[in-house]
Amino acid sequence: MGNYKNPGKQMKFDELFRLLNFCKTIQTEGTDPFDLDVKRFLETLKHYHKKWKSLEDLLLDADAIAELAKIIELQGKWIKDRSSSFYIDPVLLELKLKMLEPQQLATAFFKSWHPIISLDRITPQRLTEGLAYWNALLPLGERDDEFPLPSAVESTFDIEDLIELNILSETEFDDAVQAVLNELEERGRIEYHAFIYGASFETSVKKAYLTSYLVNEGKAELDINPLEEEVFISPSYTNVNAQAHHTQSRSIPVSLSYEDWLRWRVRQKRN
Amino acid sequence: MESETEEELRTRTERKVKKAAQLLFFRQHRIPGVKGWELKKALGEDYVEVIAVLNSVLDTLGMEVKRIGEEGGEREGEEKKAERDRFMIVLKSPVIEKASGERIDNIAMLSATLAYIISKQGKVQRKAVEDFLSDKFPKQRVYFALDRYIKQGYVGEDDKALYIGWRTRAEVDRKALLDLILT
Repeated sequence: MGNYKNPGKQMKFDELFRLLNFCKTIQTEGTDPFDLDVKRFLETLKHYHKKWKSLEDLLLDADAIAELAKIIELQGKWIKDRSSSFYIDPVLLELKLKMLEPQQLATAFFKSWHPIISLDRITPQRLTEGLAYWNALLPLGERDDEFPLPSAVESTFDIEDLIELNILSETEFDDAVQAVLNELEERGRIEYHAFIYGASFETSVKKAYLTSYLVNEGKAELDINPLEEEVFISPSYTNVNAQAHHTQSRSIPVSLSYEDWLRWRVRQKRN
Repeated sequence: MESETEEELRTRTERKVKKAAQLLFFRQHRIPGVKGWELKKALGEDYVEVIAVLNSVLDTLGMEVKRIGEEGGEREGEEKKAERDRFMIVLKSPVIEKASGERIDNIAMLSATLAYIISKQGKVQRKAVEDFLSDKFPKQRVYFALDRYIKQGYVGEDDKALYIGWRTRAEVDRKALLDLILT
């Protein structure tokens, strides 16, 4: 903000800044939003409205309106919370909680608790998949940076996680998978990394994720040459091995790292 | 196309209910339960009706399918909302005395934490909860316990503030908890 030599102007700015700070305090400290007199705030703004001349004046006015809108929103939420069945005077509850013995608190919890019933079971198929994963995994010493450890199963992302992270939306997921399948059908049998890697590492990871769905659904097949450490991918119909449909599924870890992608890009530029 | 006989319809429904039970009882993801769209994919368009049939079966065993909505999803249409909701099986009214191996003091701390957060309109600074709990428990134990509740899903953490986690929304009757504490 500039320096205002006009004392009258300085006064109105002071008043507005004071109100703005009060709005921000309510938002950050969580104090009662009804402490702010909205009507008076609006009257103050109206009072100064005709005197605004510069862009800075108008920006301050807009800022004040925006802050006021946030307070009104908080007031709405405040009323909603108070009228809900969960509302309880925090001070009263705090006092009560301090008075209760741990045993009493635990009893209250158990009486209002409806535990989720969920079981973990390792199926023979999952065991087979685990064994196939183990068999395909190179010893730790041989993997090094060239073959980094794949992420733990517990921390893998599923579609929901990607939707939550706004990387994909449910509706566009099928389209995205189809687009990758179309590209694969166009390019035919190809080395896996040559197919996955693209202009950016981010899109490469996304493509690898989508490709894993194609493989899972049997629309694409991976052909691994363990001696050469080469992995080829092809659309299912190009694979002449008809037995593929009858073989048991297994997990295949294929590494994808930023360093590897960088090396791939350098090779691409050289070629 | 020939219309389905009553017998065929019953067999198909039984098959779907069995599949729904397996999907809901056995964990598919890190978080228990199944999303509506997953059920729709596995059971078909009438998945909500299938869940209703399963619910009536579970009722006799003291269990029920609970539907947990996402925060802020109220504006969506019913069908779309159901697809985004998470379905899970919970005990309707616990008849067994002990359904957890947790220590009593851990449960007491959890109970106090949840009540405290609820009383502060569902969100409170972690520091405030730590100070409150450390009135009765050593600080180190409090830090450890809070981290554990976050990991278990009872409490969520966002920018040093704690809020009610997905698991509390699924498992705890919050109104009953407050009533029990206040009476």
